[in-house]
Amino acid sequence: MKTKIKELRARYNLTQEDLAKKVKVRRETIVFLEQGKYIPSLKLAWDVAKALNSKIDELFDLGD
Amino acid sequence: MNKDKFRIILIIIVTCLVLGTSLLYFAGIIQKDKINIGSLIAFVIPLIVVLFMVFFIRNRYKDIKEGMPLEDERSRKVTTKAAAMTFYISLYWLLFISFFEKSFAQMAAVEKLDAGQTTGIAIAGMAITFFAAWLYYNKKGKLI
Repeated sequence: MKTKIKELRARYNLTQEDLAKKVKVRRETIVFLEQGKYIPSLKLAWDVAKALNSKIDELFDLGD
Repeated sequence: MNKDKFRIILIIIVTCLVLGTSLLYFAGIIQKDKINIGSLIAFVIPLIVVLFMVFFIRNRYKDIKEGMPLEDERSRKVTTKAAAMTFYISLYWLLFISFFEKSFAQMAAVEKLDAGQTTGIAIAGMAITFFAAWLYYNKKGKLI
């Protein structure tokens, strides 16, 4: 899975910790999300997209 | 008091109880002069668990202070996966204990293991398995 979380986080000047607090998850979860190692639930994907003023399909690319 | 703080306090109480019980057990062994490999292992394993718990509590307390949740969907998934794996491995571990009961009895320097000792060995094995499985899934990342 590819994500643009890191890119968007940098655009909004947010640290991993800031984003974690915004979406109420642990920092490790954001680390794994950015590395594309964790596929989030629909709710978490929605929350992250909302926190980064983006859309789920722009933020996550599951590939073919 | 919020839910996370209450849970941390519960974990601290359980850790103190484990430590207290281990120390009492060890004091009893010394008094009865029954120190052997089995009794030492039975004392050391809870101490290792307590050490890890202290480390865990310190980290989690820091997180709570900074406004991070104690657990989230990923950590819950890690715990669930680790528990499921521990269940399967425990079945084999219990079989192993029943097959090699004599060897365990020799280690504990007794003729036959009683129910308490057998349960203790089973619980220790399960705790170690759960800890190893938790570490594995926590590092693995991909949880599907």
